[in-house]
Amino acid sequence: MYDDSEAEAYIMLLLSDSNLPTGSFVASSGLESYVKHGFASSSPGADVSTVNFVRDSLESYSRSAIPFVSDAHRAVAQFATNLGESTIMGKDGDEGYNDILKILTEIDELYQVMTLNHVARRASMSQGVALLTLYSKGFSQPPSLSAFSGEEPQEQETRIRKLVDLFKLKVRKEEVSGHLPICWGVLTAALGLSLERSQYLHLFLHARSLLSASVRLNDLGPYGAQQILLHAVRPLVAAEAARCRDLQTGLYVNPSEDFDETTLGPANTWPLGEILAGRHDLQHSRIFNS
Amino acid sequence: MQVPLVSRIHAGGGRIAVSLHADKSVLSELSSAYPLKLLSPSNQDATAIVYLLTYGGGLVGGDEVNLRVDVGSGARLILLSQGTTKVFKTRPGRRLASIRVEHSAVASRDDNAPFTTKQSFDFHLADNGLLLLLPEPLTCFRDAFYNQYQRFHIQDNASAVILDWITSGRLALGEDWAFSHHHSVNEIFHNGRRIAKDVILLENTTELNLKIPSRSLQERLRPYSCYAMLILVGPQVQSIITAITHKYDQLSVFKTRSPAPLIWSVSPIDAGKAGVIIRVAGMESEAVKEWLKDALRGLERIIGVDVYRRAFP
Repeated sequence: MYDDSEAEAYIMLLLSDSNLPTGSFVASSGLESYVKHGFASSSPGADVSTVNFVRDSLESYSRSAIPFVSDAHRAVAQFATNLGESTIMGKDGDEGYNDILKILTEIDELYQVMTLNHVARRASMSQGVALLTLYSKGFSQPPSLSAFSGEEPQEQETRIRKLVDLFKLKVRKEEVSGHLPICWGVLTAALGLSLERSQYLHLFLHARSLLSASVRLNDLGPYGAQQILLHAVRPLVAAEAARCRDLQTGLYVNPSEDFDETTLGPANTWPLGEILAGRHDLQHSRIFNS
Repeated sequence: MQVPLVSRIHAGGGRIAVSLHADKSVLSELSSAYPLKLLSPSNQDATAIVYLLTYGGGLVGGDEVNLRVDVGSGARLILLSQGTTKVFKTRPGRRLASIRVEHSAVASRDDNAPFTTKQSFDFHLADNGLLLLLPEPLTCFRDAFYNQYQRFHIQDNASAVILDWITSGRLALGEDWAFSHHHSVNEIFHNGRRIAKDVILLENTTELNLKIPSRSLQERLRPYSCYAMLILVGPQVQSIITAITHKYDQLSVFKTRSPAPLIWSVSPIDAGKAGVIIRVAGMESEAVKEWLKDALRGLERIIGVDVYRRAFP
């Protein structure tokens, strides 16, 4: 047995692998369009313009997506806790699946109607379903490896796995869109990552994928991107994570709480980025999907 | 100090109801209370016209406007304003109005409330109704704190054109995105189902920490000084949607050295069945207005040239 924090650190290492669908080989989140439209040219250098883009994009993305990451994570974490109790009480869990799937669907539907940019919607859906596939294919334990972990999968784990499979099936049947922030919340809760780490890692990966895109666009060199990631992005991610920690979608507000949508709800903070991201497909030549 | 119940209910409240009577859209109800003012030119036609105004030409911190609009089955309503809707942090010069004095006495108990300006609009469109919400842009002055919530409840084959736009301030006074906070929600329901919710938050945030100065709104939104959001939804505006989408699909972007004076984007909402959302940004608000006038010209065939000219002279 290893302790929880070591397990969490190990999961974070696995999820930060740039080869996973969390990395950016297809998505530039509007950066390619931003450069193409001449918005990077006014800065003194490519490093400054890239950092500016990362800042504006990260701020808007965290304000609009973190509420959904958080609500999906909380719902699945709550489901996991209740599972433990209901098995003690000997209750059948099938009802529980329907309830949690309904909640995740509602969260996903709200993200769908609030993401009013077809390019971002498309990218978010393809990355979302990739994460669910990653979980079922990349994180499941085949019998041949059970000797190494020294543990049989516990009942709770089995049932969370079933939940993710059921959600993925709904995405495949197009009953739900399966957007990236919701799938990220589901995946990280299923893997036992705390909400705080899940939020932080999600923002870090968004920033890192922008820098990878910048390298691929030949605006930054790989060493320059690494320098920015270490020196500039770290405080930005920390600050955004702190600022967006308590945001919610507003769908499941505790009546005792005083929820003010204007301070705690999801919002787009960068309409310029929204226009440029939406214009991605108009580029005469392009290398990214978004 | 207790605010008298009557003034608390009615301050900033308004009500518009339009119904169809023998091919004419008749205003069956039109009422408002300070600081909101609703005016309609007397001529009754197929399209009812209402101007949304505010006393003193603007709203100040503490003002709260609540408007409910009902567009009956088959009726048409165009909502306009005269000049930009201005939002001040405080009202320039002291005005004598008993309601205001009572309001600020209550508001001062809360630190933020005296500076917050709120507008809340609820629109209910019955089957085959048409709403054209085409006000002049909003202008938030230095340090203004503004929240706006617009909900649209659309039944069956009702249609709507929704314009929500903002300029960067009083350029003559050197204001360029110098307000404090602007939060605008446009939420659309079709037969009770939410099909779009646009939430824009523009805020000159306080510093994240001592090491990194925040990016100001002006830095994030430049070189543009006007941003518009336009939603078109419903069968009556399908030909306009088709024309705009076609024009958009013809665009081809090549690498440029500097940003264009005006850019726009179009995205379908609700998988393209219901409508589109259009965003426009321009260095000059007049150019954005010209763009809108051109894009929406198809409305002339529905409401007539004269009514269209009221929105876009």
